[in-house]
Amino acid sequence: MNEKERESKRLFLKSILYGSLTALSAAILYPIFKFLKPPQQTEVEVSSIKAANVNDLEKDSGIIVRFGNKPAILIRNANGDFKAFSATCTHLDCTVQYRKDKGIIWCACHNGQYDLNGRNIGGPPPRPLEEFRVVIKGEEIFISKNV
Amino acid sequence: MKKVVIIIILSFSTSIRVFSQDKVDQCLECHEAIGDQPSTLFKNDIHQTKGITCSDCHGGDSTSDDMEKAMSKTSGFIGVPKGDNVSKVCTNCHSNAQIMVKRYNSALPWNQGDLLAQSVHGRLSISGKERIVKCTTCHNTHGIVSVKDPSSPIYPVNLPKTCAKCHSDAKYMRTYNPALPVDQLDKYRTSEHGILNAKGDAKVAECASCHGSHEIRSAKDVKSKVYAINLPRTCSTCHSNPNYMRGYKIPSDQFEKYSNSVHGKLLLEKNDFNAPACNDCHGNHSATPPGVESISKVCGTCHALNSELFASSPHKKAFDQRRLPECETCHGNHEIITATDKLLGVQNGAVCKWCHGDKPESKAFQTAKFMRELRDSLVSEDKNALLLINEAEQKGIEISDAKFKLRDAKQALFESRTMVHSFDRSKFQEVIDKGLNVTSTVSEDASNAIEDYFFRRWGLGVSSLIITIVAISLYLYIRKIERRQKSTV
Amino acid sequence: MKNYIQNLYKWIDERVQLQSLVEFMGKKYVPVHRHSIWYYFGGVSLFLFIIQVVTGILLLMYYKGSEDLAFESIHFIMSKVEFGWLIRSIHSWSANLFILAAMIHMFSVFFGKAYRKPREVTWLTGMLMFFMALAFGFSGYLLPWNELAFFATKVGTDIAGDIPIIGKTILEFLRGGEDVTGATLSRFFGFHVAIFPGIFTVLLTIHLLLVQRQGMSEPLFIEDEEKYEKKKMSFFPNFLLRDLLLWLIVLNILAILAVFFPWELGTKADPFAPAPAGIKPEWYFLFMFQTLKYIPANIWFIEGEIFGIVLFGIAGILWTLVPFWDRKSFRGERNRFINYVGIFVVIYIILLTTLGWLT
Repeated sequence: MNEKERESKRLFLKSILYGSLTALSAAILYPIFKFLKPPQQTEVEVSSIKAANVNDLEKDSGIIVRFGNKPAILIRNANGDFKAFSATCTHLDCTVQYRKDKGIIWCACHNGQYDLNGRNIGGPPPRPLEEFRVVIKGEEIFISKNV
Repeated sequence: MKKVVIIIILSFSTSIRVFSQDKVDQCLECHEAIGDQPSTLFKNDIHQTKGITCSDCHGGDSTSDDMEKAMSKTSGFIGVPKGDNVSKVCTNCHSNAQIMVKRYNSALPWNQGDLLAQSVHGRLSISGKERIVKCTTCHNTHGIVSVKDPSSPIYPVNLPKTCAKCHSDAKYMRTYNPALPVDQLDKYRTSEHGILNAKGDAKVAECASCHGSHEIRSAKDVKSKVYAINLPRTCSTCHSNPNYMRGYKIPSDQFEKYSNSVHGKLLLEKNDFNAPACNDCHGNHSATPPGVESISKVCGTCHALNSELFASSPHKKAFDQRRLPECETCHGNHEIITATDKLLGVQNGAVCKWCHGDKPESKAFQTAKFMRELRDSLVSEDKNALLLINEAEQKGIEISDAKFKLRDAKQALFESRTMVHSFDRSKFQEVIDKGLNVTSTVSEDASNAIEDYFFRRWGLGVSSLIITIVAISLYLYIRKIERRQKSTV
Repeated sequence: MKNYIQNLYKWIDERVQLQSLVEFMGKKYVPVHRHSIWYYFGGVSLFLFIIQVVTGILLLMYYKGSEDLAFESIHFIMSKVEFGWLIRSIHSWSANLFILAAMIHMFSVFFGKAYRKPREVTWLTGMLMFFMALAFGFSGYLLPWNELAFFATKVGTDIAGDIPIIGKTILEFLRGGEDVTGATLSRFFGFHVAIFPGIFTVLLTIHLLLVQRQGMSEPLFIEDEEKYEKKKMSFFPNFLLRDLLLWLIVLNILAILAVFFPWELGTKADPFAPAPAGIKPEWYFLFMFQTLKYIPANIWFIEGEIFGIVLFGIAGILWTLVPFWDRKSFRGERNRFINYVGIFVVIYIILLTTLGWLT
């Protein structure tokens, strides 16, 4: 092996070493940077969530909001008071909605009916809806599980 | 002579006592002579025929013709029993098996007094001094006759009136239970039972057949015969007895069918009170089969959406014209089983086919076929999405968001079943499309998640390769410098 | 390129005398013999600890240490944050490997009697770090606030509560109250990310400085061997590069474990739910947990559990203080007794852990 060959071999080894080291740092840094990039939904949600702003809801209306892994329904009655319940119908897990014409919470699947206190008043639901706590801070409405 | 007889009575057995009965009962003797009502009535009393005398209830000495002596406290005279003492006088014998069986050879149950005390009527009356009902309230006082005697107030044909004496008296009932209706008798008279009963049929159900007699409890009491869970069995005591029902021209298998139905299973097996018992469709006091046109209204008390949709569909008119019993035509009556997709469509076993099967080119046939196809596609898409989610989960990838979304597809599946009753293509398709939208996004999410799984494997492969190369070249590098070190040393 | 690096090196060297450090490390030698392999486990432990620090800091960006949010935030990390699954799985896996590597390191030092004079303080700091690592593991286990961790913590702190006299105080101190609640979680979170790392860093610095200062110990028995020829290699670059090579392999193992066996999250803890069957602590506590199970309810007039805890306490203290009572090694003589003790402990731990694992 002459000097030239040895030199080129050394250079080759060096470039492999540096090249792979660069690739390695890239392979390590890539997941880290990706991890640090804020995800679409920027924060975890759960047992207490900001459901809406007071002005988002007219009197005598209701909206469905996501509460952890289940839907919740936030209702503003004709007097302007807020109430929140689990929006999962106690009959077969459909999602309930607010019926303005009847002034009740209503399930489209089997005509389950609940009054605005969450009590099952008609149709097949066997139990009342679970009620959530509503807290209004300034303009924002928060709902949380009753503990 | 009489004294001798008394001594004999006191010291010898009952046979001699029976013998003495032929002797004159001094109480009756005098009271009849003054013509008072109790003694007149007592002449026909069943107790009189069994040899029971005035003194057996009122005490005193019935052998003495001396009024002072016969009705003196020393001879045990108690006069007219008051309040609960009335019932106590009756139960002295009626609750004593010894007396009832041995002495009178009676087949009557001897727990009637206890049952009455535990019943809703056994509670204290408004005066607080006695129970609401005593034996004599229903059975009369001195003219008591057997229940089989048509003149008895508790003879089946007479019983409704007897109960109604209190129960139809709004003013009286208000003092105990203001919420209790007082129109039961009126309703009863409109029922099949009540009509036949009024005609003198003693076999049909009257108040006691369902509510019990001495043991009557509130309908909300779990031990009551008419408590929701117990009611079907109560009705079945007559209606499932073919011998008993012979002559009424109705089947006797309703209970059996009901027990196998979706309603029966819910109520009897799962004790779900939302499921209807017999009375929820037939009425309770006014029990009668619902008329052909009113079936959808009756079912609609619970299945409101289906009934509403049906009523506004073209089927309503067609069914009415042909005198078809609405819901029942497709779903049956007592043996309603859980409706499945099999009912929909034009294949064998589908109910649409019964009427529309012979004209494949008709709009109805096409609609039925179309609806079934749409429904099938949603079912399979939903299943597909769930499979993808499961696969992703099995591969260890977090996918609870997609799972959450899939709830909406389940909802669309439920809604579409209801929407079938509109028999309207576009309305049905709207619901199905809603579901299909959900399943397609969920499937996409799940597929992405599964792809992510392979991405992870690939990523690992690539990084492992890089690490291996670095490791090898590092190894070579170490060898190189150590060789150099050696050569320099 | 090369010139730039040289210039930068020169720039720094002029200011902090980097060259002397390099020379110091170059003059430091690592003994080479057939047991040299065990020297690497200290380095592996160090590497895994560094990974713990890096991934731990990354997880802190999203983790929320409260009863309401702990479980959900980890769920969030696993599902919403890109590579969150990887970072968390690596954190969990490397925690376990860290304790394993530290254990091997500890036993190799024990059998090599490397704790003897003059390295008593190195051993002490090492033991303290080992206990710290166990505490890291115990506190970190609860942070996801899942069912298993919740009940394991309940049992674990319960056992701590059986310590005579001070037990109740310790229990309440650990739990932040009578029961395992959100307060416990907050506490454990604080321990795990602030207090422990702080103490650990101090111990680690002392430990590493001492190792550099005193060099690696040679086992006594090697010196006794007749054919033994003293060989050595430079710490820098030879040993350090070999260390790096091993680190790479460990890194790859971690990646494989994280991808093929992602750490599970389980179900959220519900304080009112009945305890699920088969509550087990992490494997490194299993042998103690299993022992407590076998001890009869009463020994003489002491409660069995208390007896066990006291026994383990005494054993732990004796083990930690071995440099001070092993006088033979201190004088440079062979001490077979220590080997028997070590072998007994290793077999005991392996046996009981296996039993605990299988039941």
